[in-house]
Amino acid sequence: MKIAWNTILWTFLIVVAFLTLFPVVITFLGSFKTNAELTAGATFLPADWQFSNYLEAWKQANFSTYTLNSLFVATASTLGTLLVASMAAYVVNRMDFIGKKIYVSLQAFTMFVAIGAVVLRPQFDLMIKLHLHESLWGVILILISAHASAFFILLSFMNGIPRELDEAARIDGCSSGRTFWRIIIPLLTPGLGVCALFAFRGAWNEYLLPFVFTLSKPELQTLTVGLANLKYGVAAASQTHFMMAGACLSILPILIAYIFANKSFMQMTAGSLKG
Amino acid sequence: MNKAKNVAFSYSFLFPSFILTMVLGIYPMIWALRYMFYDYKGFGAERFVGLANFERVMRDQQFWESVANTFIYAGGKLLLSIPLALILAVILNWNIKGKNLLRAIFFMPTIISTAVMAVVFFTIFNSYNGILNQFLMKYLFIQSAVDWLGVDYAMLTVILVAVWGAVGNYMLLFLAGLQNIPQDVYESSALDGANKLQQFRYITIPMLGPVMQMIIMLAIINALKGYESIMVMTDGGPIGKTNVMFLYVYKLFFPPAGGAAATQIQEFGYGSAVAFVTAVIVGIITILYFYGSRRMSQND
Repeated sequence: MKIAWNTILWTFLIVVAFLTLFPVVITFLGSFKTNAELTAGATFLPADWQFSNYLEAWKQANFSTYTLNSLFVATASTLGTLLVASMAAYVVNRMDFIGKKIYVSLQAFTMFVAIGAVVLRPQFDLMIKLHLHESLWGVILILISAHASAFFILLSFMNGIPRELDEAARIDGCSSGRTFWRIIIPLLTPGLGVCALFAFRGAWNEYLLPFVFTLSKPELQTLTVGLANLKYGVAAASQTHFMMAGACLSILPILIAYIFANKSFMQMTAGSLKG
Repeated sequence: MNKAKNVAFSYSFLFPSFILTMVLGIYPMIWALRYMFYDYKGFGAERFVGLANFERVMRDQQFWESVANTFIYAGGKLLLSIPLALILAVILNWNIKGKNLLRAIFFMPTIISTAVMAVVFFTIFNSYNGILNQFLMKYLFIQSAVDWLGVDYAMLTVILVAVWGAVGNYMLLFLAGLQNIPQDVYESSALDGANKLQQFRYITIPMLGPVMQMIIMLAIINALKGYESIMVMTDGGPIGKTNVMFLYVYKLFFPPAGGAAATQIQEFGYGSAVAFVTAVIVGIITILYFYGSRRMSQND
């Protein structure tokens, strides 16, 4: 009885794990196959490992540009989000001023109300007026503007920093700004790390926003956009190996970050339940 | 302490966040709220038309088809992903070998870009020389290729891809809920002779109630709103079979450049009205669910 039960249990777990891993493994192995092998044969392991796929995708299919663009967007918007959200969380948590409650409800509102792609249109027109549509700064600013979740995460971390420290600093003649940079920010590092992970993943994986903003400027495309466009390309059928190599290039950085910060990723998601 | 100075400092620190939220978060919503009463195609004059856009929504066959598609998509996704996530969470809450590794594996899809995976799944499900069909024909002796992205199976395929991406997330949320159930309840029930199945039915399910209510609500909202992977995989096709309402709205604002697409012109005014109706639909379903599921949260 016990053995039968265990067999069923483990068969189930292994089948689900296999189905979960299959697409990623097939992508990874596929990125080393020739295009002919990908389109014709049902092989699992590459018959002949084509490491040159990456080199060619990097050069021919412009993945070097896409990667740089993705890195730029993800890094800049992560730094911006951390700065903007931590400054706001600091004053909301430590100071008293009129309009605090309104500000907090405003942030909560933007997190829960979303009307989809509609907002992209006015955002896009605004960026044209500000002359930011010719670069990726428009995308970055819009990504930073969605910092509500980072704000609330940092707010809860801020609660854990003893107020006595601020007061001691103030008595020693430290200004509020100096207290923020010298005392709060260093103690907030764990919270900032978690937020950075989330902001970076979000920006790195973002598709629609950079897609819309680079419709007429292919040289600004990010990895997600460039990769999806390969699908629509004239020679899409003949570029499956580039698609696989490109997919790996875009998955790997996040996957590596995940392997190292597995706990943080999981805790944050689970933590969102306790509100 | 200098109070005025502190208030000025607070406002200056809040300023970047506030201005970004107002300009890029709130203003676009107000923009849409205004234009739903206008006839505006993105160029030329804008004309106030009152409720005409809403009358058009009511008569818009394609939109209501997309609403029906959204319900099929969301329903299918929920029916498959929620039970699977719950089962996985319960198993991985037991003290079995390798549970941490398995948790990490099941959660992995949620960290990968939806768009990138949609491209990969496209190459897997592609009817002509797709990877899945190659395997099916070679090892399972299926005679002809299955048209996974064709009229008959496209919806099923996009649902399966959505389930792949969502299960790990809900599993983790269920796990967090399970870990809040005190262990001694299980121990005392075991002393009374309850087996694992009875424990699941009479302890886990009721005690998980409030958490389950919230997870399902989250899942409903997400399923109704998701369209990125559909956009990349099928772009709503074939013949609108996988067109969901948020994708329909998107195309009114960013019509495809070429091809025999359904809508070719930008419809900012009409699109805003359609977006408003979709938001109302999502809102109504959420509220209906919330009140319909109240028993779940009563914990008895």
